[in-house]
Amino acid sequence: MAGMIRSYALAPLRGLFLALLAAVGLAASLPLMISIALVVTYPAVLVTVRWMTGVSRRLAGDWGRTVVEPPYRTGTPPVPVQREDGWYEHQGQLYKSPGYPQFFLRMEWLTEDPATGRDWMWLLLLGPLGALLALAGPALLVAGVLAVAGAGAAGRAAATATGLPEAALTWWGLLPGGPAWQAVAVGVAAAVAGLLAGPALLRVHGRWVRHWLGHASRSWWHTSGFGAWLSRGGHDTWKAVLLLGLSLTGFTVFLVTLLLTMVSGGFGIAWLAYAIRPMVNHYRRLCASWGGIELPDPYRAREPVTGPGPDGRYRVGRTLYATHDGAHRAGFFPWILGDPATWRDLLWMATAPLGALPAVVPAVLLGAGYFGLFWQALFWPLWAVPLGLITGIWVSPWYMWQLLTLGIPAAAAVPGWLSVPIGLAAGLLAVLLARPVLGAITAWAWLLLAPTRSARLAQRVVHLAQTRADAVDAQSAELRRIERDLHDGAQARLVAVGLSLGAVEQLLDRDPDAARALLAQARETSAAALSDLRDLVRGIHPPVLAERGLVDAVRALALDAALPVQVHADLDGQPPAPIATAAYFAVAEALANAARHAGAGRVGVDIRHAGGLLRVTVTDDGRGGADPARGSGLSGLRRRLATFDGTLALHSPPGGPTVLTMEIPCALSSPRTSTC
Amino acid sequence: MRVVLAEDLYLLREGLVRLLEAHGCTVAAAVETGPDLLAALLAHRPDVAVVDVRLPPTNTDEGLQAALAARRQVPGLPVLVLSQHVEQLYARELLADGTGGIGYLLKDRVFNADQFLDAVRRVAAGGTAMDPEVIAKLLQQPSRNVPLARLTPRERAVLELMAEGRSNAAIGQKLFLSESAVGKHTASIFGKLDLAPSDDDNRRVLAVLAYLNGAA
Repeated sequence: MAGMIRSYALAPLRGLFLALLAAVGLAASLPLMISIALVVTYPAVLVTVRWMTGVSRRLAGDWGRTVVEPPYRTGTPPVPVQREDGWYEHQGQLYKSPGYPQFFLRMEWLTEDPATGRDWMWLLLLGPLGALLALAGPALLVAGVLAVAGAGAAGRAAATATGLPEAALTWWGLLPGGPAWQAVAVGVAAAVAGLLAGPALLRVHGRWVRHWLGHASRSWWHTSGFGAWLSRGGHDTWKAVLLLGLSLTGFTVFLVTLLLTMVSGGFGIAWLAYAIRPMVNHYRRLCASWGGIELPDPYRAREPVTGPGPDGRYRVGRTLYATHDGAHRAGFFPWILGDPATWRDLLWMATAPLGALPAVVPAVLLGAGYFGLFWQALFWPLWAVPLGLITGIWVSPWYMWQLLTLGIPAAAAVPGWLSVPIGLAAGLLAVLLARPVLGAITAWAWLLLAPTRSARLAQRVVHLAQTRADAVDAQSAELRRIERDLHDGAQARLVAVGLSLGAVEQLLDRDPDAARALLAQARETSAAALSDLRDLVRGIHPPVLAERGLVDAVRALALDAALPVQVHADLDGQPPAPIATAAYFAVAEALANAARHAGAGRVGVDIRHAGGLLRVTVTDDGRGGADPARGSGLSGLRRRLATFDGTLALHSPPGGPTVLTMEIPCALSSPRTSTC
Repeated sequence: MRVVLAEDLYLLREGLVRLLEAHGCTVAAAVETGPDLLAALLAHRPDVAVVDVRLPPTNTDEGLQAALAARRQVPGLPVLVLSQHVEQLYARELLADGTGGIGYLLKDRVFNADQFLDAVRRVAAGGTAMDPEVIAKLLQQPSRNVPLARLTPRERAVLELMAEGRSNAAIGQKLFLSESAVGKHTASIFGKLDLAPSDDDNRRVLAVLAYLNGAA
């Protein structure tokens, strides 16, 4: 009983505190957002934000009797991996110590957490909205008390002293003819209602906190068809608005570029166009994933400085430079300005706001219509009633409609309550329009930001040159290995056999016993030479692959493996020999890894060909957690497959299972009947 | 003993013919392609065929396929397969019909004429001659086969020789054991591997090989 009284008595204070907390959050969010710009403080900002939302979560549990689990990603951020040469890499940049890469990785890890975005939404919008709920109780109580007190003599004096508006004084019965007893009755009723509703409102507030700050839960509403359709429409609208915002940033940069061009000529364009590329690429990625289109990066790769020439100088265009660095710096401008993608970027920046303008339509419909007319009407009692009680100024529930239709005489004839269905209809219209609008914006982006045919060809040439260089390197390394193996193995042994036979020739008459012993030795040495050659051949091109093709060769591999391997194959013919060899060695490496590192008990190999792709999948039931960046064997395989435009994907969650998938585009030739 | 020989390298073919004839065999035919081999095997019905796995015209596993085809028509036709490399996959295919008269050896084994001729005779008599390298690979996979781990080192050695296709007498000679001691070891092995004991040397070998193959 005492606890219940306590909770009712404390509820208004708690509501006040929650409102205060929301106000602090809102006030702090602006400086916090600004300090993100100082990259160094970014994790600290996020930690602060998490601490602030954490307080809301805890209070929801303590006061609102609603347990809210923190929704953040568990585990630890990825750690930087040291390269073989001792440096640490992060996005193409090398660092001597792991500090910076670790910092960036942690930053990305925190940012990618979907709960981070919702934390910000809470501070900026959802927390203050929820505060209205928490504040409703204490506001009613205070308003009621004030109304009663105002009716008394002390209140009268205080009111005149503070100069309250005339409407309020009338309401409180201070002016002649005002019915004081009404004010007292309404005041008492409001105060009692505010007091009694306190704990319930705190619980509702707790639910609000759990909904936005707890685990993002998929309620039946979101999984049902209509609800999913609605929320997708809402998301599409926000995406369109975000694209519009980014376009405006692009346009601003374009204006600055124009200004700089006047001052500094082409240099300004080059620097700015280069600096803006990450942002344009970000826009490309967003458009690609939201619009369901392919929008790869169109930029030309930078060619390394060639030379020095015979005169010891480096040539860039028609200019000679004494140092490599100078040539490199000078090469920057032709590289950027000679790339058509730079000019297309600029064209996009100049026209982007135009292209993204349609975003305004669903945004206004959703913002003014749905939130302004429909939701606002629901929230109206929370603030308008206490306000009316205190000041006597009663705001119309349809004030938003009146504001929005200001100056339209026809709208005045519409009854105010109709604004609620109108708002709902506007929201539905926004949801209907959002997808086509988003499609139009991404289509515009595609028109200007997608690589042109020649840019794609140029990139393809770079890719082919790279994979060809890799293939040539790999081949020459392979030849060196073969040469070394032959030199130290079979060749040396054959020399020994020759020496033994020479000695035998001399000993044959004088000492037949010694000759016989030498002959036996020669035979053993030749057998060892054969064994060496056999191992060598296996490493170059396994005989079973030549004799039986890929599937049976993999079966033979499975039989020799240290652990049970199931092979499933569905091939109507043979892949080309080089591809079969690459696939065979890839499977061999995968099986060896499964046995050596994964601690697997069983392995499955699946080989099939569909849609012009040879797909080989190796699955093991080991402990998982394999890191593709760490294994040099894996990156070697990837390079080897890249020669055939093949890809290698590793999926290895901690705890397994590990799935290695290789895909190589190829056609199968001459069907062969399998013997198995 | 009449032999059909299939080997595409002239020097090796002639060497094998000389080796076989020097040890009292008659070479009924020495051919160099897969189709010729199948025709010769069906025409001559030799006591034993000595066959290279890789033969023209395709230079894949023509020899092996011809030998298997001939055995499908003439069940139990003794075939000794020679190769530059040994694969468990091929060993399985050769042993699959379970009728014996199968040999599968590395080409290196012809270096030792006595052992090679012993293998030829064993196969001709319907026995088995498996290359030690095949057996070693079969036995190398401890994680796959728990009962194998229960064998003593001596029993393992006996099992290896038995799987190669050797008789108790030959095993005893090689390990310096009496024949009865070998008999005791084999009985113990069969008990541990849960195989039905058999007095017939060849059937015993096939049971062991089937066990090792099936354990995968």
